Amino acid sequence: MTATEPATLAPADQGAAVRPPLPVKMVIAGGFGVGKTTAVGAISEIEPLTTEAAITEVAAGVDDLSHTPRKTTTTVAMDFGCITIDPTLKLYLFGTPGQERFGFMWDDIVEGSVGGLVIVDTRRLDDCYAAVDYFEHRQIPFAVAVNAFDGKVEHGLDEVRWALDVSDGVPVVVFDARERGSVRDALLVVLELALARTQG
Amino acid sequence: MADASPPPDPDPVGPAPAVRPFLVTAGRVAPTASGRPMPVETQVVATAEGLAVLDGLSFEQHDIVAACRLPQSVAELAARLRLHLNVVRVLAEDLRAAGHLTVYVPDVDVTHDASVLRRVIDGLRAIPNSRGVLRDSD
Repeated sequence: MTATEPATLAPADQGAAVRPPLPVKMVIAGGFGVGKTTAVGAISEIEPLTTEAAITEVAAGVDDLSHTPRKTTTTVAMDFGCITIDPTLKLYLFGTPGQERFGFMWDDIVEGSVGGLVIVDTRRLDDCYAAVDYFEHRQIPFAVAVNAFDGKVEHGLDEVRWALDVSDGVPVVVFDARERGSVRDALLVVLELALARTQG
Repeated sequence: MADASPPPDPDPVGPAPAVRPFLVTAGRVAPTASGRPMPVETQVVATAEGLAVLDGLSFEQHDIVAACRLPQSVAELAARLRLHLNVVRVLAEDLRAAGHLTVYVPDVDVTHDASVLRRVIDGLRAIPNSRGVLRDSD
C-alpha cells in the first residue's frame, strides 16, 4: 500500500484532528455456537458489532465428485469487539466463523493478526478442526480454549490435545467464555506465545 | 453511541439493504490496484477537508466521512453503517484519494513488535475480573 500511511510513524494529515490508535488484532475462531461472540462480548468495551465478511471455502473432497478444487466465496457474519489499551493502542478481537467439512481461507480477516484463540466445545470437537488447521498452516500463534459450558468439561485436556493432535507448543486451556477474567487470561496465553515467538 | 438499532434484534445483521451492495461502488469489488485489501482493523479518520465538504458528499460517502470524525476501523464502519465490508474498503480508498479521509493501514512489523505485544499484555492484565469495576460503554 504505497499510497497509504503506516499507522504509527507518519504524521497525521494537516488538519486531521484525531490521531488513531495502533490497532492490534486477535482472532477468535471455532465452530458455530461455541461461544465466540460470548467471549468477545465478555471482554470488549463495546457491545460486539457484526459485519459481513467474505471467506473462501475450498470444498472438501467428500463433497467434490469431480475431484477438482472448487472454491466459492461466501459471505458470513463476523462479530468483533475492541479494548482500548491506551489512547495510542487498541486491541481488536474478531470472531471468525468456522464450519466442519470445509477448509477455510480466512486471510481477509486474519491477515496481520498477532494470534488466535480457537474455542472448543468438547461435545463437538470436530467443529474446530478447520480453525486449528488454519492457524497451524499459517504459523500464527494460537491456543486452544475449551469452553466449560455450565462449568463442566466433558473430556480432559489430555484427551482434547490427543483428539486435536496439536503440537506440544500449542497451549490447551479451559475457560469460561462468559467470564471476563477467564477470557482475559486465555487471550494472555496467546499473547505470551506471540511475544515468546518474537524473541526466538 | 448514535446507533439507532432497536434493542434485542433476533437477526444480528439486521434488515437487508434496499440497494444491492456494490451498486454504490459502481461494481468495483477490490480496493484499487494497490494489491491487498485493507485489513479490517485499518484505521480511518476524516480530514478537515473532508468535513468541510461533508454536505456535498453523496449518501454512503457522506456517512463514512461523518462517522470518521473519530477514528474508526474499517470493520466498525461497515458494522455501524450496515455496509458490506468490501463496499467500505472501496469507498474509503476513493475518499482517501479525494483527500476526505486519512487511511492508516497498520504496519505488521510494528503491531507484531515485542514492545507493542508487551503493552497489550500489560493493558489486558490490568482488566479486572468483574464487569462492574470498569465503566461499561452503555
